[in-house]
Amino acid sequence: MRLWRADLIEIKNVHKSFGDNAVLKGVNLTVTKGEVLCLIGASGSGKSTLLLCINALESIQKGKIIVDNIDVHARETTKSRLRQKLGIVFQQYNAFPHLTARENVALAPRLVLKKSKKEASELAEKHLEYVGLTDKIDAFPSQLSGGQQQRLAIARALAMQPDYMLLDEVTSALDPELVGEVLDTLRMLREEGMTMIAVTHEIPFAREVADRIAFFHEGVIHEIGEPEKMLNKPEKARTQEFLRCIL
Amino acid sequence: MYPYVTHFTTHDLIFMAQGAGITLVLTIVSGILGTILGFCIGWARSTRSLILFYIFGAYIDVIRSIPLIIQFVLFNSFMAIAGYPLNPFFSGLITLSIYISGYVAEVVKAGIESVPKTTKMAARGLGMTYLHEFFYIVLPIGTRTVFPSWIGLMLGLMKDTSLIAVLGATPPELLRSSQIIITRIQQPLLVLLGAGAFYFALCHMITQFSNLYEMRWREALEG
Repeated sequence: MRLWRADLIEIKNVHKSFGDNAVLKGVNLTVTKGEVLCLIGASGSGKSTLLLCINALESIQKGKIIVDNIDVHARETTKSRLRQKLGIVFQQYNAFPHLTARENVALAPRLVLKKSKKEASELAEKHLEYVGLTDKIDAFPSQLSGGQQQRLAIARALAMQPDYMLLDEVTSALDPELVGEVLDTLRMLREEGMTMIAVTHEIPFAREVADRIAFFHEGVIHEIGEPEKMLNKPEKARTQEFLRCIL
Repeated sequence: MYPYVTHFTTHDLIFMAQGAGITLVLTIVSGILGTILGFCIGWARSTRSLILFYIFGAYIDVIRSIPLIIQFVLFNSFMAIAGYPLNPFFSGLITLSIYISGYVAEVVKAGIESVPKTTKMAARGLGMTYLHEFFYIVLPIGTRTVFPSWIGLMLGLMKDTSLIAVLGATPPELLRSSQIIITRIQQPLLVLLGAGAFYFALCHMITQFSNLYEMRWREALEG
């Protein structure tokens, strides 16, 4: 495993609160290039907030997050440029409802990467093919199923050619029969060596794709380790309790 | 001068049609000016600036709480007192634009706020800037949401243009030209029925135009 400083996400003692409600209470975590890290934990434990902090969609009050040697929350950091490195996909698909699948994917490359209309459109075709949506390329989000919308969101993030993917419970809002197609897309990404941080409740999926699993509890990473160890022989009582509840 | 008669003539019809034309011009010009101004105010109020929020909040409050007819008279008189007497027609046009901007601002703000926070976050997550997000995501989505309310404002505005009569503005718009005819032929019911028909035709035109747009958007979304 390569351990160059320029190739990783470092989270150092990060604190974040909304008013009086402290959500992150000193998170420490390092994710190296090529790694797949799954974050598990109860709802409201701060997992999703952490993802938003990593690409500066939320501010932090204390600590540091460093992505490829860039201090994410430093004043001089251009957030929009930083976010090109960090693709993010949310639980609620968030497709742009007024644009077709093609336009959804092509918009950011055109505006942010300054691609020509034609280049952006080709890029969209390529990425929509990748997620298996070629036949829906000119459909509007309202004409797509939840699973298709989520794959669209993945294609949209990938079109920016990010170095990292942040996945925030991407299957939680889906009907059970649609979860598979989205997970298949993520498996494909893993095959290609994409670095991913995924907040998930899909324990079997985490077991299959994750290099490490981190259990989030009360605003900190309570326990972290390889899937085998984390899911079969967790050391801490809280982790055991959580796994007993959801497995 | 045509001979003095006391029945409704073709001349009267043309006179009323011209009035309807003036009503339409007043509506379109003040509608455009008021929408531009209201858009800027609504946008400013949707930003995080508390100062802009409260200053323009007061502006909207004042405009929406005072009857338009009083605003016409006050604005026209104050301009004259301040040493800038305006042609009543222009004075009325400006008052109408300011008046409608207060309502448009609230509609614009509602449109901006109707776009889910997560959709905006998705745009930012792709590396878009605030302006990208605003013009390519928030504006198109918000416009579709509040377009019917905006059309409602424009219909109200069209009927409110008749109040410009208190300034004695010339050329007369539809209601004033009707009153002029009524004074001569003493047949208020007949003339007002005609005026009503003109107003209806104008409003119906706007409604049809808006339906066309809404249908096109719906078709685009539903295929």
